Amino acid sequence: MLALADCNNFYASCERIFQPHLQNKAVVVLSNNDGCVIARSNEAKNLGIKMGVPAFQLKEITKKNEVHIFSSNFALYGDISKRVMSTMREECLKMEVYSIDEAFMDFSGEGSPVDKAVALKQKVQQHVGVPISIGIAPTKTLCKVAGLIAKKYTSSGVYILKDQKTIEKALKWLPVEELWGIGRRHAQSLKSSGVHTAFDLCQAEDSWIRLKLSVVGLRMVKELRGTPCFPLEESSNRKKNICTSRSFGKEVKTIEELREAISSFANTCACKLRQQKSCAKRISVFILTNRHKPNAKQYKGLTSIVMDSPTNSSLEIVGLALKGLEQVFRGDCIYKKAGIIVSDIVPQNQQQLSLFDSVDRKKHQLIMTSVDEINKKMGRDKVRLAVQGHSPRWALKQERLSPCYSTKIEDALQVKI
Amino acid sequence: MKFKFLNTNKDLIFYSIEDASLGDVPLFGDAVPAGFPSPADDYLDMDLNLHDYLVQNPSATFCVKAIGDSMIDAGIESSDVMVIDRALTPKNNDIILAVVEGEFTVKRIKKSNDELYLMPANENYRPMKITTEMNFQVWGVVTFIIHKANASTR
Repeated sequence: MLALADCNNFYASCERIFQPHLQNKAVVVLSNNDGCVIARSNEAKNLGIKMGVPAFQLKEITKKNEVHIFSSNFALYGDISKRVMSTMREECLKMEVYSIDEAFMDFSGEGSPVDKAVALKQKVQQHVGVPISIGIAPTKTLCKVAGLIAKKYTSSGVYILKDQKTIEKALKWLPVEELWGIGRRHAQSLKSSGVHTAFDLCQAEDSWIRLKLSVVGLRMVKELRGTPCFPLEESSNRKKNICTSRSFGKEVKTIEELREAISSFANTCACKLRQQKSCAKRISVFILTNRHKPNAKQYKGLTSIVMDSPTNSSLEIVGLALKGLEQVFRGDCIYKKAGIIVSDIVPQNQQQLSLFDSVDRKKHQLIMTSVDEINKKMGRDKVRLAVQGHSPRWALKQERLSPCYSTKIEDALQVKI
Repeated sequence: MKFKFLNTNKDLIFYSIEDASLGDVPLFGDAVPAGFPSPADDYLDMDLNLHDYLVQNPSATFCVKAIGDSMIDAGIESSDVMVIDRALTPKNNDIILAVVEGEFTVKRIKKSNDELYLMPANENYRPMKITTEMNFQVWGVVTFIIHKANASTR
């Protein structure tokens, strides 16, 4: 049996750990830039606040109801996620961290899977303070289904699809649009062909499913029928690519501002590479206009640069990113978002140098190690490249940010005693 | 900083270094080209690790700053940092971080004759009796109090 542990309303639950008076109150968390709602407590859901609603549309509801609104605090959520995952790993070594708030686990072996799940849930609640739900089933896709039922219809937060009969019952209940990986458009097209529930989909011909949903979709259906197709991926692979991108707090027009932003993102990517001890060979730069303003000129600029030798030096990566920016920049657009992707990632110790390598790698490495050390002690971006600029205009809007309770001593929870 | 044992090979011991800067690694196990190796080489992996001393359950440990004087006689002064372990189950007379009616408080937990009290450590404050109607929860157990020794640095 496999299990899927999923943190309930994760971001909202993280905020609550440090503000227990928000228990049983409506809590919502906004996206970067305080743009729209990305997490809701159950109470907020009950007030009818929908996922993705723009923040300004909340005013009406907050006038009439008590709603606590937070800017997203990813430093906090990341730390809490790490704690949840390592707490679970103490109980189950065979685990795949699937996202910031979900993990698959192998529950085969001795003992009842339900007992294991109940104990795990209790432990995570005590040790970290985050409520989780656990769905148990023979395949990953069925675990998702079980998890959905656990969250919505059980008080224990644990549900098992233990035999063919319960599986069939669940699939007959489940509308296709709630299935893992089925988007709204696919659901529409399935429904127009008379496929309304997950069970209907399982009855369809394989060739038809492949036509409608591609090979991945067919694998998912096979999993619904009970055949495992997505194995547990335990090894925490180094990421295949790293992306740093942001929507800007304000509209950005000039190349000078974009230079600051792009070099900051490139520097962040380089830091992430160094943290996971790897190097990248390809760097891509993109800039986007605001697609929510159809009347403004629309433009997507993207370019990729392949380096001779893989690197993780901020100096090199930032330099190339700026070259890429020059290539894609157009002066007649207003930009809303920009980003950097580094890919073709190899472990640092397998770095193959080009024959004509002209960069003094030893020197770069020494500088980068020192910069990382200083920033670790003094705070992020204390030492940075001049091109990154000061107090940038494009920075994030985070008007309702909670403190980084668990990762900065200055931000530690203060308690009146 | 931590040293992780990897392997031994005659007189050399190999470690990998976890979460450490390369700058302050003691040069132990180095092949000494001339002269006698230091007899202390074998013990250089015994660095004092304050983090390990203060933190038993890393994923369940949080630091919390105390404001106020209600626990002054228990050694908690205002603006001290408390190390709090959520993995521990409190024993009678332990100092805990509790949540009473949605508000945090730090007190000594005391059980007597099936009654539960939160005890301050300052005679100007009163004990609080916890009843079943109250919304009460133990957030974690205070395991260490970090207090800056000199007022000038506080």
